[in-house]
Amino acid sequence: MDSIGEACSDLKKQYDACFNSWFSEHFLKGNTNDSMCAPMFKVYQQCVKKAMKEHKIDFHEVEKDLLGTSEERQPPKNGK
Amino acid sequence: MKIWTSEHTFNHPWETVATAAWRKYPNPHNPAVIGTDVVERQVVDGVLHTHRLVSSIWYFPKWAQALIGSAKVCYAREHSEVNPSTRQMILKTINLTFCRHIAVNETIKYTPHPSDPGKTLLTQEAVVTVKGVPLTNYMEDLLTNKISNNAGKGRQAMEWVINKLNDEVKDLTRSTDEILNQTKKSLDDITSSAKQSLDDISQKAKKSLDEMHIQRVKELKN
Repeated sequence: MDSIGEACSDLKKQYDACFNSWFSEHFLKGNTNDSMCAPMFKVYQQCVKKAMKEHKIDFHEVEKDLLGTSEERQPPKNGK
Repeated sequence: MKIWTSEHTFNHPWETVATAAWRKYPNPHNPAVIGTDVVERQVVDGVLHTHRLVSSIWYFPKWAQALIGSAKVCYAREHSEVNPSTRQMILKTINLTFCRHIAVNETIKYTPHPSDPGKTLLTQEAVVTVKGVPLTNYMEDLLTNKISNNAGKGRQAMEWVINKLNDEVKDLTRSTDEILNQTKKSLDDITSSAKQSLDDISQKAKKSLDEMHIQRVKELKN
């Protein structure tokens, strides 16, 4: 599966392969130490976060409370 | 608001289904999903928490595009929790695109089947809310039908992935067998060539001993 950032796809594939084997060989067998793929995850993360910024995707937007804050959308002001 | 729910049983243990769930995409049944990215992931108290960004292409009919904008790549946020000790996997997805008009909240749960722990129960729920556009009710029905239709494809996709995983295991076993066979064969080869060389050596030794003996007899005769 590709990444949102074309440049990240190879990093993602490497990380996914590591994660899939960690998940079935370690995590499901009761070993919750996730340091095995951590270095690959870090590199892939940096790439994805950059790509998300470029695509203007705000991942946490849905969690934000907007009503009552200055970010709440205001009705257009009447009159010219 | 429309609520849609559904249940399905997979004839596979929970561990297999959970493994397949991570490898669901790409698959030929859901070509609309074009990307998945892990944005955050950590293990807290033995539970794996993951936030993923799911990118997909949505195709709307022409008339709907006028209302919600033309379909391009749409984004959704998926938060999942996997608890291996209770054998629970929960995925909650919400759309990030069209948030002002459409909210699709989907929850998928994979749990061991209550009457057969060797099987896995999938429970799925979707809450569709459309507001701020005309024909709200019609749009909600349209989306709910689409989700219902996609759910069937999603199950087929899971079966497809599980099959693929099982094939990989078979391949792995097969190649291990091959390696073992190969090793046994080369060991046999080595043994037989070693045996042959030993035979050769002893034969040669015997021959030279014989020759020496003949030589000795000849010398004695002279």
